[in-house]
Amino acid sequence: MRVDVRALGACNRLAERGAKQAAGALSDLTGTDLAVEVTGASVASGEDLAESFAGRESIGVSVGLRGGLDGEAVLAFDAVNADALLSLLPGGQSMERSAVTEVGNIALGGFLDGWANYLGKAIDMSPPRYFEADGAAVLPDGALAGDGVFLFESRLDATTTDLDFSIYMLPDSGPFRDLIVGKTAPAATAGGEANGGTESTAVSYESLSTFSSLAKQGSANAADNIAMMTGLETSVDVSRLRFVPLADVPAEVGTEPHAGTVFELQGEPSGYLAILFEESSAAAVADAMLPMEPDEPLGDMAQNALCELGNVMTSGFIDGWANVLGTSITHSPPEFVHDIGASTISPLVAKLSERQDYGFVIDTAIQTEGIQARCDVYALPDERELARALDRLSES
Amino acid sequence: MTRSLSDDRPDEPADRTESGGDAVADAEPAAVTGGAVPDDPGRIKVGVGEFAVTSDDAVLTTSGLGSCVAVALVDERAGVRGLLHAMLPAGEGRTTAVSRPAKYVDTGIDSLIGALDDAGADPRRLEARVAGGAEMLDLTDAVGPRNVERVGEVLDAAGVPVVASDVGDAVGRTVRFGPDGRLVVRAADGFERAI
Repeated sequence: MRVDVRALGACNRLAERGAKQAAGALSDLTGTDLAVEVTGASVASGEDLAESFAGRESIGVSVGLRGGLDGEAVLAFDAVNADALLSLLPGGQSMERSAVTEVGNIALGGFLDGWANYLGKAIDMSPPRYFEADGAAVLPDGALAGDGVFLFESRLDATTTDLDFSIYMLPDSGPFRDLIVGKTAPAATAGGEANGGTESTAVSYESLSTFSSLAKQGSANAADNIAMMTGLETSVDVSRLRFVPLADVPAEVGTEPHAGTVFELQGEPSGYLAILFEESSAAAVADAMLPMEPDEPLGDMAQNALCELGNVMTSGFIDGWANVLGTSITHSPPEFVHDIGASTISPLVAKLSERQDYGFVIDTAIQTEGIQARCDVYALPDERELARALDRLSES
Repeated sequence: MTRSLSDDRPDEPADRTESGGDAVADAEPAAVTGGAVPDDPGRIKVGVGEFAVTSDDAVLTTSGLGSCVAVALVDERAGVRGLLHAMLPAGEGRTTAVSRPAKYVDTGIDSLIGALDDAGADPRRLEARVAGGAEMLDLTDAVGPRNVERVGEVLDAAGVPVVASDVGDAVGRTVRFGPDGRLVVRAADGFERAI
């Protein structure tokens, strides 16, 4: 079974369309303007997703699907964010249920309309049902049983008030997966301008799941390396592989000042890796690594410390991938960055955009005990080289 | 509309608290707008690879410019302004330039001038202000300067004079383009100047 990563791009656009409709509906309901900042698709095993939803309460709606797509689709908010959002409603919390139901209906409707048009077949959608779910119970029925699930996550941002939250769309993976495969398998080998004519971006669904586990393995290795180097207990918070439009990546990093390191990767896959800390986290980590307090928070000494940290983290990441993929990957020396977060990553995104429109982003938050610090790792591999390496993996 | 609502109900998932079934009567989706999304009545946010045009008092903003370049065009007499946030120098001949022209400097400026024309601006009266195009990293080969160079060439070919610019260096920028036609450029350290 093969999935064309570019077809995943088409799905992502449908998800984004649903999210924009949801944002519009929420803006109307709350009188607060909301914009969709980023929409990404995650390909993860049910187990990984269950883990990332663990301890979270969600509210949302589910609809049953018949016709062009069978199964179930879910739209959910984190309950804690939904409270803040719904408190903006004129009717207050009492409006919650009907508001969530309406917004869910509109968002899923937008998403499914797109699919129905794409398929040229009607999709019957059962009336939306409101639910409150603990942890993994938010996932559609098929998600945990199968070998993977697609999750579309959109981050919505209200710039006039301090509110930003995510909505999730979870089409049940089985039928959805068949759809991507059935619809795009021929296209996947047909080539095109952006893929250099002959190279395919189709990879087996199983290897996408494998890559998703790789992301996790890489993060764990990186955390181990930090622990070894600093003696500080380090844990990996979240680790998920997401498929996002490259142009959205800078918005995802945001406009707050960040500091960290970036690396160029060579080998299979090549690409870039950026390790970014919010300013205060960067200073706290550097401080913890240095024998004495630095003269200035992010001066030369701190920069050296962060570069060294970046080196061990990056090695941890790519060693894990190279081992599993059976390839050789090397990285450039670290380059220190300290600027508006979005600005630091924009040249990497621009460079990759010359060849592709979407990127795999690996979100990893690594937390070091005793100090308040977390960082995000953006791994941006060349999609063709990644597809090739994954393909070999599935053949072996 | 191909989607339709039916009375079918899927089986109850075991551990969810369910209620209702009260379908919202055929709620019509809100209009979807491509490109930039207005985020308050007086402010229009322009994302990476997007442009926006206004003929009223709205402030056009774009943030997190690194190697990307912002091109602000105004026809002061007509009171029409536009802002582009382009990522790469050349899109001509690429298929993605058709679906997302604003990703590229050349196709983006052409589209922006076209949209300004449609909004009542006279392309012969346009003035340009340019910001961004920084050399943020040694790792990536001069995307920023190539963007700036291409902006100069394309505007020159279109006969649009560049009246001010704040480009290059290794600094991130955020810009806002207000009704006075000035482009306010803010750097990461908070330093601001109007050009």
